[in-house]
Parts: sequence; C-alpha cells; structure tokens
Amino acid sequence: MTRYVVNRLAGMVLVLFLVCLFTYMVFFLLSPDPAVQICGKNCTPERIDQIRANLGLDEPFVTQFLNFLRGLFIGREYEGGINCPAPCLGYSFQTSQVVTDMIVQRLPVTAVVAVGAAVLWLLMGVVGGLISAVQEGKFADRFIAGLTLGGMSVPNYVLALALQYVFVVWLQWLPFPQAVPFADDPVQWFLNFILPWSVLAIGYASSYTRLTRANVIDTLDENFVRTARAKGLRPDLVWRRHALRPALTPIVTIAGMDFAGLLGGALITETVFGINGVGKLAADSITKNDQPVIMAVTLLAAFFVVVGNMVVDLLYSAIDPRVRVGVSA
Amino acid sequence: MTLLQAKGLTVTFGATNVVDGIDFEVRPGGTLGIVGESGSGKSMTSLAIMGLLPSSATRAGSIDFAGTELTKVTERQMRAIRGDRIAMVFQDPLSSLNPYYTVGTQIAEAYRSHRSGVSRKAARAAAIEAMDRVHIKDAGKRVDDYPHQFSGGMRQRVMIAMALSTEPELIIADEPTTALDVTVQAQILDLLAEVRRDTGAALILITHDLAVVSEVADDLIVMRHGRVVETGTAEQIFSDPQAPYTQALLDAVPRIDDSIGDLRPVPGGPA
Repeated sequence: MTRYVVNRLAGMVLVLFLVCLFTYMVFFLLSPDPAVQICGKNCTPERIDQIRANLGLDEPFVTQFLNFLRGLFIGREYEGGINCPAPCLGYSFQTSQVVTDMIVQRLPVTAVVAVGAAVLWLLMGVVGGLISAVQEGKFADRFIAGLTLGGMSVPNYVLALALQYVFVVWLQWLPFPQAVPFADDPVQWFLNFILPWSVLAIGYASSYTRLTRANVIDTLDENFVRTARAKGLRPDLVWRRHALRPALTPIVTIAGMDFAGLLGGALITETVFGINGVGKLAADSITKNDQPVIMAVTLLAAFFVVVGNMVVDLLYSAIDPRVRVGVSA
Repeated sequence: MTLLQAKGLTVTFGATNVVDGIDFEVRPGGTLGIVGESGSGKSMTSLAIMGLLPSSATRAGSIDFAGTELTKVTERQMRAIRGDRIAMVFQDPLSSLNPYYTVGTQIAEAYRSHRSGVSRKAARAAAIEAMDRVHIKDAGKRVDDYPHQFSGGMRQRVMIAMALSTEPELIIADEPTTALDVTVQAQILDLLAEVRRDTGAALILITHDLAVVSEVADDLIVMRHGRVVETGTAEQIFSDPQAPYTQALLDAVPRIDDSIGDLRPVPGGPA
C-alpha cells in the first residue's frame, strides 16, 4: 500500500510538472507581449525594455520557467521590491497584486459553491436515480427521464438567467444577490447561494440520475443479489448491502472527480451570479488578458483535478476489494 | 414419506408455460436429479420452489414442503424458509458471490439472518466451521478473503458452505459444476454427496450433464419443453430408458468404449 501511494504521488508530481511546463509554454509562445500591454499607449522602446527586465521577460525561456518553478517552491522577488513568497504564482501588474493572494482570497467562496452544489447534485442524482430504478418503466421513471433530458440540454448560462428571473425578479422569493459575509447575516448569505448551487447541481444531477438508475438496475440483475435473496435476507438488507453498495461506488468516485473540477472555479455560474470566486477571477483575467492570473488559475484547476484523481483512486482501492493495490499503478 | 412434493407445478411467462404441470417428489435425505437441455424448464423449477421467480412469471400448482404448502405462504414466511430450511447453490460461483464482502461475511450473513440473537463472533465461528466442513484449508484465515481471491472450485465450496451453514433439510444445486473445469467438477460432486451423507439433507441436483446425475442421484426426472418425459430411479433410467427422448439423450453422450462414429445429436430444438 505504501509503495502504491508513493508511486501515485511520484506520478502526480510528474503530471503537475508537465502541466506547468505546457501551460508556461503556451503563454510564453502564444501570448502578446505583456510588457507592451503594461506600458500602455505612449510608450518608448526603452520603457518596454525596462518592464521586460523588471518582469524577467528578457531572459531565455528555460531561465524564465526555472524562475517560475523556483517561485513556486521558495518564492521570488521582483525588481522594484515586490516580494512574492512561496508558493509564488506570479505577479499581476494590471492589478498590482501577487497572484497567489488573489487566488487565496477567492478560493473560499469557490469552495462554498462547489461543496453546496456537490451535496445538492448527489442528493438529487442518487434519489432521482433510485426512484427511477424502482419505478422502472412506470410514470415516475419517465417523468424523471424527461427532467434529466432537460437538465442536461439546457446550458448553464440560460438556466442561471432563467432561474434568476423567475425567483428573484418575478416571484421575489429570493433576494437580489449581493455579497454578504457569513458572519454578518447567515440567512442572507445562504439565500444568495441557493441559485448558484442549483444551477451547477442541475446539470450534474441529471447525469448522476441516469447513472444511478442504470447502475441500480444492472446490479439488481446480478447473480449475487439473487444469492442474497436465496439466503432469505430481508429485502432492506438485500438492497442496502448487496444492491446499493456496488451500484453507488462508481458514483461516489465520479463525484470526487467532478467536485475537484469545480474547485478550479465555475466560470459561467460565478460570472452570472457575480460571485467573486476563482471562476470569475479567470473570466475577468481573460477579458483583461492578465496572463499571470490566467496561467495561475489554469494551474490551480489542473492541480485540483490531478489531486482529486489520486484521492478517488486511493478511495476506490479502499472501497472495492477487487482493485488490487499495486497492480493498477 | 416425502420431504417435498410438487404436483402440477406450472410456471408461465405471458402465454408460454415454461414449466408445464410437472410432478415430482424428494424423499428426506434423498437425491433427486432433474435432467434436461437448456430451455427445458429445470432452472425455473428450482426458482419456483424457492419463490424467486422473476416478477413477470406466474406460478401455479402445488409444492408441499414438509407439510407446508409453499405456493400459499406469505413472502415473510417464505423468507424464513429460504436459506434456512431450503438452501440453494447456483451455477456460477464467481458472479453469485458479492465481490464487495469477504466470504466469511457472506456465509455469516446467511447464518445470522436465520438465527436471531447470534453475535457477530458466533456467526463468524459458524462460517469458519462451515468452511472447514467443505474442506477449505486454513478456514480460520481464508474466512477474511474476498471471492476474487479464491479459485473457481473453492468459490463453489464457499457457496456450499453458505448453503449448509444453516443445516437445511433440502439443498437445491442448480448446475453446480457447469462453470467449473472437469477435474474440479468431480470434487464438487463428491463434496455434495458427502454433505448429504453428513447432514442428512436432501438434494435436488439440476443439470444437463448425465454423467453428473449418474454419480449422485437416487431418483431422476427427465424434462423437455417444460414437461417431465420420464421418471424413475437413476439405475432404472440409465439401464432401461423408456422415453425415446431419454434414449436419444443417453445416445448423444460419446462413450469411451464406443467405436468412433458420428456424434448423435438429440433431434429437435428447444421450444
């Protein structure tokens, strides 16, 4: 087990390094010169050279990349006395802020969005899927199938605007969204998040419903469920132990992956609802072409996905005894 | 004196009788072989006894088990009989065991659900004892292994241990050797015979394989298209088959002392 974990960790570090390298390369090679942008309209070539030197942009690619890596692990200092402690993800000249601080500020709200949405979609998906499976072919099953089809086909931004119109403007059941710290007014805070959670959850819940339904129906057909019945086991035990556990295990692991993806920021939802999270930061930085921030957000998303992947794999080997540790590494 | 007696047992899917009014009986401690091709209705017969038919099937006729009419009991009463007084061994032991639980847990589960107030520890001990009785070596250790850690033959031993752990009066084995390779088949048949001798449980052995029943069964019924075409003692049927179908079935088995000729398939197909 230890060897397996060590192997996986090594693999993870390698993947993250490659992601770093690739992202850095993309921004180094494809982006317009940040120095020109920072300098603005009335700019002399000397001024551009000076900015380049300040940012370290006059160095060759390898040196720049190594500087970036060094910044990640031991921090770095930009000319002009700007200190960027580890993990330094760069410095945004457009906002005059250290990128790491910008992200750390916004991560909690993104985490709140992701956690709430995940709870909601797991609840809706699993319950909906179970109802569909039990009522297979009957009205409830078809009704839920219709809902999931809708949930999967309506794009996030349409759903977000539609729900906002219906619940905030028309019915006025929910307050107009405004940033309220949890400590000031927990109720208002909670009400603010209901729509973003729902918008994110509906898409995921739809596919989880289908997955749960299919898995449960398949599992009920398994020979070992017949064995459990032949033992004279109570129906609730047959369900709980022999049908649900095998049917839901894959769902839990997929949920881990999806959740990790969301931690990287829900770009559309955060933007539509004006939530100042990592997703909105990414959207804003893209419109402003603030490269260090775009790159940092990309890396962060990759980091969560890679870590999430590993956690899910470790979890899987704990839940499913057939996944022999060491073999799949 | 009979332990189980079926009269006019019929299983219907839609308009088709897959089991069509069959009669048979099992004596206490005796072995009844039910032989037939696939599609002859033998497995449906066993599921009909257990009350485990698919919901799309209907059951008619009578099944008397030690004075209890199984077609009349409630699901709750049937559950008390299932796994306790009538246990079942299925064809494919890998898919019939739940991959998520240790074999010990699965054996103990059968035991505990029929013995109220039994502690986990006692159930585990019973599981180990049952595994011992089916000759699984190191039962005390292997009780914590998962099904995938066993070979095919060992898995079937686990299934048999599960069946006998509650000391049933009747064990129904539905093609218990079909998924196993030939050398292991004989061991499992020996084991079933041994279990029957030791526990006094009666056995219904369902198979398409005549060699299997010839070794173990006392009585035999031969089924085709949901009907019984011949009934008798195993000896009688093997030495002097009456029905043309039984004759054809016996002729279809290649014999080692036979001159080499064409194999003789049974004419006709499943209905």
